[in-house]
Amino acid sequence: MTTVDSGPRTAWVPPTWDEVVREHADRVYRLAYRLSGNRADAEDLTQETFVRVFRSLAEYTPGTFEGWLHRITTNLFLDMVRRRQRIRFDALPDDAGDRLPSSQAGPEQTYDEMHLDPEIQRALDALPADFRVAVVLCDLEELSYEEIAATLGIKVGTVRSRIHRGRVLLRQALAHRAPGLRPAEPGVSAAGEASTS
Amino acid sequence: MNSQHLSDEAVAAFADGVLAGHARERAARHSAHCPECAHAVAVQREAVWALRSAPAPSLPVGLVDRLRSVPITTPVTTAPSAMSADGFAVFSTFGTMAAAALVPAQKPARHNESHRLRPIVLTAAAVAAAGLLTVGSDGQAATTTRQPATGHFTGFVSNTGSTPGNADGFVEGPGVVPANARLRIGP
Repeated sequence: MTTVDSGPRTAWVPPTWDEVVREHADRVYRLAYRLSGNRADAEDLTQETFVRVFRSLAEYTPGTFEGWLHRITTNLFLDMVRRRQRIRFDALPDDAGDRLPSSQAGPEQTYDEMHLDPEIQRALDALPADFRVAVVLCDLEELSYEEIAATLGIKVGTVRSRIHRGRVLLRQALAHRAPGLRPAEPGVSAAGEASTS
Repeated sequence: MNSQHLSDEAVAAFADGVLAGHARERAARHSAHCPECAHAVAVQREAVWALRSAPAPSLPVGLVDRLRSVPITTPVTTAPSAMSADGFAVFSTFGTMAAAALVPAQKPARHNESHRLRPIVLTAAAVAAAGLLTVGSDGQAATTTRQPATGHFTGFVSNTGSTPGNADGFVEGPGVVPANARLRIGP
């Protein structure tokens, strides 16, 4: 955000729309992609997030922009998941449906996704949506438990247990992955931990 | 209390290094002697490492253009004036969103084009329904400038420079929102 920094000002200077996009589009898209697992949905979610931002700028108070964006993107994603579950998995309980395969992959999408780590994205995709959201916000967006709780409107304890469970499932899904991801020798990590604490 | 295993929540928090004080000491002491909990902590960390090692998806160029054009793709004055043959809303000013002009020419494979247009169309309709915003550049008399009932929202994008736009005052081409357009929020 170059323009806003330029020159000392006491009052908050509203950014141009271009600045808003430049500053935040990357992060919103990354979050949307990690949550939805494919480019088409990620683009939809990102676009819709910015549309909501645009429509609600009047209520925006400086300082909360990132949290606001996280909340919008995350909620749009969860809405999308629930909508699809309602349509196709009416009979299943909330957490039972992993995300549905989204629209078919075009050549562009396939190309694009080969540049990510498909295994990790697949492992993420296999998590129940609520777990995935918690893990992505914590480990990729690096929000604190408290921020995640605020974003999702749930208790911190719930955040922690979803993160725990999500990571366990993720680790299981990646169990075959070699170096750096072998199951730890029992006790080794604990000893390391004890010595650092 | 060493015999008592760490709770799942404590395992996650300990792995993340966010336990403090007594809880942290207890977790460290316990997992030093409990292979099961030590392993649980390691699993948490390994999952985090795996996630963070994955390269981040990069923002598609075409999407950036569409995001930049959000202010002008959401005119409040108009409902779609027609539907195109393939089912998309057509706006009198923009045609089918002038999407072709916004998407870089070098991109191959336009199979997803129809998919890409959809959110824009929804967008325009939604904002039109909200009836809050008016967009244009200087010289354009907005046809329906409505103040929100509660708000201090006086306008939206104004072009502070002079722009040789078309008769409607809209800027055409890829740089849809003028770089010097500034959002106005406040009284």
